[in-house]
Amino acid sequence: MFRKEKQWPSLAFMITTLVLFMILGGRLFYLQIVKGDYYRGLSSQNHIRVVTKPAPRGLISDRNGVVLADSRPSFIVTAIPSEFDSTNTEQVASLLGITEETLSGILSQASSVPHRPVVLSTSMSVEDVSSIAECIYCIPGILIDVAPQRRYHRPDDFCHIIGYVGLSDDPESFRGEITGRTGIEFSLNETLRGSPGLHREVVDAMGRVVEEYKGTDSDEPVPGKNVVITIDAELQRTALEHLVKTTLPGAVVIIDYVTGDILCAASSPSFDSNMFSRGITRDEWDALLQNPANPLYCRAWTASYPPASTFKIITAYWLIAEGLINENTMPAPCYGSLTLGDTEFGCWTAHGRLNIIQSLARSCDVFFYRTSQLGSLNELAEYAEFFGLGSRLTEILTDERSGLVPDSDYFNSAYGPDGWGLGNLLNISIGQGELLTTPLQMAAMTGVIASRGQMPLPCLILQREEMEPFFPAEVCDDTAFDVVTEGMLQTVISRRGTLYGVFSDFPWDFWGKTGTAECSGEDHAIVVGFSREPEPVVICVIIEHGGHGGSVAGPVARDILLSYFERSD
Amino acid sequence: MRGVIDLIGRDRPDMVFLIALLVLFLIGMAAVYSASTVISESGLFGKQVTWSIFGLIAFLLGTIISLRRLEEISPIAYAFICLLLIVTLFIGSGPANRWLIIGPIHLQPSEISKAGLILVTAWWLASQKVRPRKFGEILIFLTVIPVVVLTAIQPDLGTAVSMLLIVLAMFVWAGYGGGWIMLLVSPILAAVSSMNILLWLGFMMILITILYRRKYPLPMWIVFMGGNSIVAALTPMAWNMLKPYQQSRLITFLNPSNDPHGSGWNIIQSEVAVGSGGLSGQGFLQGAQKELAFLPARHTDFVFSVWAEETGFIGCLILLTAFFILFWRMVIAARKSVNPFNSLVAAGAAAYIGIHVFVNVGMTLGIMPVTGLPLPLISYGGSQLVTVLFLLGLVLNAGMYWREV
Repeated sequence: MFRKEKQWPSLAFMITTLVLFMILGGRLFYLQIVKGDYYRGLSSQNHIRVVTKPAPRGLISDRNGVVLADSRPSFIVTAIPSEFDSTNTEQVASLLGITEETLSGILSQASSVPHRPVVLSTSMSVEDVSSIAECIYCIPGILIDVAPQRRYHRPDDFCHIIGYVGLSDDPESFRGEITGRTGIEFSLNETLRGSPGLHREVVDAMGRVVEEYKGTDSDEPVPGKNVVITIDAELQRTALEHLVKTTLPGAVVIIDYVTGDILCAASSPSFDSNMFSRGITRDEWDALLQNPANPLYCRAWTASYPPASTFKIITAYWLIAEGLINENTMPAPCYGSLTLGDTEFGCWTAHGRLNIIQSLARSCDVFFYRTSQLGSLNELAEYAEFFGLGSRLTEILTDERSGLVPDSDYFNSAYGPDGWGLGNLLNISIGQGELLTTPLQMAAMTGVIASRGQMPLPCLILQREEMEPFFPAEVCDDTAFDVVTEGMLQTVISRRGTLYGVFSDFPWDFWGKTGTAECSGEDHAIVVGFSREPEPVVICVIIEHGGHGGSVAGPVARDILLSYFERSD
Repeated sequence: MRGVIDLIGRDRPDMVFLIALLVLFLIGMAAVYSASTVISESGLFGKQVTWSIFGLIAFLLGTIISLRRLEEISPIAYAFICLLLIVTLFIGSGPANRWLIIGPIHLQPSEISKAGLILVTAWWLASQKVRPRKFGEILIFLTVIPVVVLTAIQPDLGTAVSMLLIVLAMFVWAGYGGGWIMLLVSPILAAVSSMNILLWLGFMMILITILYRRKYPLPMWIVFMGGNSIVAALTPMAWNMLKPYQQSRLITFLNPSNDPHGSGWNIIQSEVAVGSGGLSGQGFLQGAQKELAFLPARHTDFVFSVWAEETGFIGCLILLTAFFILFWRMVIAARKSVNPFNSLVAAGAAAYIGIHVFVNVGMTLGIMPVTGLPLPLISYGGSQLVTVLFLLGLVLNAGMYWREV
């Protein structure tokens, strides 16, 4: 290397570095000489405090624009441990109505980050604050801040769908920030929360704000985005009222089978989600947990039940679509039971000789015991999965259960290869045994029949784009759809149908299927069905321990749809 | 006047260089001592003194080692350092898993790897100078990429970027022009400029100008224009595919020392500390801001704030001037050296000093982003001190034996 060659690089090195160092020197001159007095003043008497300004959480409204969740102004009292003088502990504790031990406990927990405010008291109203503000303002290190509090307008109707919020315990969030705990508040938390703003204030030794800090700009909070859900709030209220009238726990799911919109998902009993916004007390929380009916539990999708005879919709579809029987096949008559080996499989009455449509309408078990032996368990399980059973239907409902569709692998691992047999298939064919479904899945299964396979997956967030059907196109079978639809119509209109008479005053056509799920105690009453006019909806009603599906759940379904249709007419 | 025969004879050591170094070393000891008086962890200053002894040994080793021998073992040393980084990735401990603990010794391999990087780049560039290979430059980049990537995923993006800048500076030293460097880093620029259409158009115009002026054949045009367009098109798509929380996590991952709340608390407090120093400072050990437990890193990354508060503008000017003199003498040594390897090592070490000083001091003054880059010779930390002193020893060595071919 020749020295001449390095003349340019060394010049580049020296000039670049000189310029960079002069930038540093210039900045130092600005900070130390030009603004030196300002900063010296700051550092000797005052200091900088960074205050978080919470962002307003997004609104949640129903499909018609009814606001279901918004925020109302409320106040929180916070303390900055590094500024707080412990001789004031007694006074502050008495003003806030907490014990001194609680207060010093809160403060000592936060001592690792002494400049960050800790929350002492939340959700105080204007009246609460004004009575103590005067005294508290003179105490160094205690701040009163505005913090929007979540307000639910129909807390009982929407406690399971929207869920509730609580104080965030994420170490990266600021003290007092609320975060979604359950439901949509939880799953769409990132959308709803927005981002908090930061104000930098210069405060004096007493903790009073002297001025805004002039060094860096403040960041304004960015409000959270609004969310519109597919639920019809009026329908939701009607459904919950009818459920409450039965005095039994239960659920109602109503879905628009053309769009997949979930119009109603009521679960009874419910609870007041505003309890969580204002800070739930120990007693209230214990009462919720110890209530035997478990109000925290969303029966529309977190509970799973045996589908009982409503599952015959799938069994019948499978039998026809796979060509195992046709609509005229009449196996041996039903004498009230079928004996297989030394086990007796019962039916609820002796039906005699029936075809498949009559068997659906009168809900004959023996017909399905006899015919399902023509196929295999795994085929039937596969069809159940086509209809949406055995897996979660939504992504957004984090507490949705998948239910259970047992196949041979399941039985092999549960009972061993020799521990099960044809009897298990017979039980599954009428919706009993290990089979478990959520009311949401039962409604979706009915929707496949109503839409002739065209229904998209159920959704809870309103979107205008068209979605793909979830039922595979290659198993769509016109004859099978016709047979099941006719069976569901005969259930309602034929004299011996299980829903006969229930819908006699109903001015529109209704296709239905009942189920009576055997369980310990009184049976669960289930009804599923759909109407095409005036609105294309499917409905699933389940009343826990209600008894017979047709006579208990049927009228509930009818009354809910009646008031919904009369309103939309 | 030395005779012609004394071609590989030894010059006296550069006294200006040594004085600047001594001044900086003493400032470093004073600043660490001052910061350590308010740190609960005991014995920080004592540890720094111990490390200084190791640093002195490393410095002496650097001045007496045969640079020819060093050039030969450079690739091996580099491979060893890569291994060290990989080991750290799996069994690293301490904050951000950047530490390798062997008995009482706590090593930070990413600091040591900077020296390895300078040596291996100097070795490659020197051999490329003597015996040019086709695509030799690409090979050099392939060699340094492992260390840069291993550092970036530690994760320490600031250090990884500073490593790339040092390597690029060494390319400039070896005679590669701005256009050439520009083409080399064009994919990164394409990705960054894709955020704004005007930036992107400006970037493409510069690219076209360079390609035209260098009279590249058509295939090269296709490679550079097409490749960069693809990169620019894919970047926003890849970014938008991420959900907002993933984007913020990625940013936090790439730059963990950034305050997760974005409040800039550290920077504000550092600015107040520096500003309150005024012209002559609040006096040694008298700093008020450092008393507040505001900075978790006031003896390491933010040590300059302590110095600025206590010694003011005058003390800062002394520090910056000493650094500039040191840098200037390093460039002189690099320029004098006849041997390409010696020259490149000195230039790389000079770039190391320049980049670290600007990034670290700039950070404490609020004009550079928060990164984990220490202030050489001043910040508390043994690995850094030993590495820097070893490199400075090599520069002194190269300056004394500048005639060596």
